[in-house]
Amino acid sequence: MANTLNIKKFALSSLYLMLVFGILTILLGYISGSYRGFYLSLTLGLIILITSVVYIPLIHRRRDDDIKGVAIPALQALWVTTSMALGYMVTAYAPYFNIPITISTILFVLGFIMLIYGTYTMLKISKVSRVPLAV
Amino acid sequence: MSQGRDIYGDYATLPIPESELRSTLNIFMVYMGVLAVIAAIFAGSGLAQMYDLKTAISVSIIGNMLLAIFGGLIAYIGGATKANTYMLLRYPLGRIGAIIGSLIVSALPLIIWFAVETWLFAITVNVIYPGHPLTSIVASSIWGGLLMMTTAYIGYKALSILSYITVPFWYTLIMIGLAAAIDLNGGFDILWRIRPQTIAPLGIGITYVFGLYAAGCVITSDVSRYGIKKWSGSIAWGVHVVLFMTFLLFAGAAMTLLTGAPNVIVAIAQIGLGVGALLLAILGQWTTNDNNLWSAALAWVNITGKLTKRVWVLITGVIGTAIAALWGGLWGMSLDPFIMFGILLGNFIPPVGAVLIADYYIVSKHLIKREYKFIPGSKVSLVNIPGVVSIFIGGFAGWVATTYGYRLPTGIGVADSIILSFILYLILTTIMYKLKIKFEIGEWIISEVGI
Repeated sequence: MANTLNIKKFALSSLYLMLVFGILTILLGYISGSYRGFYLSLTLGLIILITSVVYIPLIHRRRDDDIKGVAIPALQALWVTTSMALGYMVTAYAPYFNIPITISTILFVLGFIMLIYGTYTMLKISKVSRVPLAV
Repeated sequence: MSQGRDIYGDYATLPIPESELRSTLNIFMVYMGVLAVIAAIFAGSGLAQMYDLKTAISVSIIGNMLLAIFGGLIAYIGGATKANTYMLLRYPLGRIGAIIGSLIVSALPLIIWFAVETWLFAITVNVIYPGHPLTSIVASSIWGGLLMMTTAYIGYKALSILSYITVPFWYTLIMIGLAAAIDLNGGFDILWRIRPQTIAPLGIGITYVFGLYAAGCVITSDVSRYGIKKWSGSIAWGVHVVLFMTFLLFAGAAMTLLTGAPNVIVAIAQIGLGVGALLLAILGQWTTNDNNLWSAALAWVNITGKLTKRVWVLITGVIGTAIAALWGGLWGMSLDPFIMFGILLGNFIPPVGAVLIADYYIVSKHLIKREYKFIPGSKVSLVNIPGVVSIFIGGFAGWVATTYGYRLPTGIGVADSIILSFILYLILTTIMYKLKIKFEIGEWIISEVGI
């Protein structure tokens, strides 16, 4: 039971973290001073934001002992956010977006953290819950 | 009764057991991965030569809704029976007929398309990063082919993991690349105003869109059989085709109207996203081509009953890669002969789907009242005569309509072949059944290993 509760907490805290990263991305785009950079950040950040906002309540509603019921939506949401992290890493430094180098670097690092942390979280949830990674 | 032993891998000859079923989202992601290919965007270019953007979008939506119905009906059969395409064909075509059907639908054409896609992948890599030994067409074909073989070799689990990684990133980056290309070439205002000198009739565009993916509809069951609900595959197929194929066709049409060429990948490279463009090319082609290879291997297992799915992935993958690297790359020869053969076979693929739909939903349910069963001990015929006759006549009609423009009844190959084979199968089976003429010849008992 304690183990189950940990999964739910772990999944929720991971998704809240992704939500914060999403909001941070939009803010960074806003202060970049480039409309192209802002639209880019808005696209990437909003996808993460919407995914988190849809899935967090879904996981909250699941019973604490419903391991599978928690793991499935958690993995689905984390796949989207982790895949988007690749987007951060390949777009951050593109000259077209005119993003100042400091903000580009922060976006790149954010993407890198999301990629590594997202992968780690998914592997852990999948292992503990025994739900396939590609759920 | 035993559910059978999976000696070939990936349940190539058996229904998927409950423990292996996946969510609707998983099925959706795999379909999206198959669609995530540059060729889908290039297809939008054809629409741009016929229509303005607004009409191109309308035509795409209608054509894709028809694809959603055709593919959705077939995907449901896979979801309900948990069997792949080549197993399903044993009922409308018989065991021997199913071998012919599998050769037409997957075993031969998918090796050809694997080779062509690998070759196109190599060309794209070479355009983005020219001059490096690893990006020459020969080298890119070889390492690209090997990459695509790895996930197909591991199986469905790997196909879906790769799709989960690729799909959100791929579609978002295509959207960003398209927006950048529009921004750099005059913006949406100009885009909505551009139109070709003459606008083609809507019917031509709708059937053009339908023809793009009609063959793909026929093998939807290979994936939909993994769906946790009977309708998982149908929903996933419908949503992906109506929303996202429409988006890709729109992207190709918009790029062509603005710049004269549909190459989004090159546009993405031009805005300074070299790595992004390369990743798009690699991941997009990979998620499509590994499915080609995987389905081809499943088909070969069902045809021969020999060797495992993994061995067939290696055999077909090496053949496809060799065609791309040697024929297309090293010798610089055109792949047109292969493409022509693939297109010729393509005439006969939609009729297979039409006959399957007619048999499952009408003939089996309402005429002869039987269920599709694939557990060991189940019986199927050796040859279902109306089924085999219908796919050949339907396919031939499609070829005649495409080549000579005869109206049989529409004059558009894909539509004619589907309509004709569907109606013909229903008429032949009904007449033979009512006259008590045996239309299914011989008997084949499914063994412990599903063959």
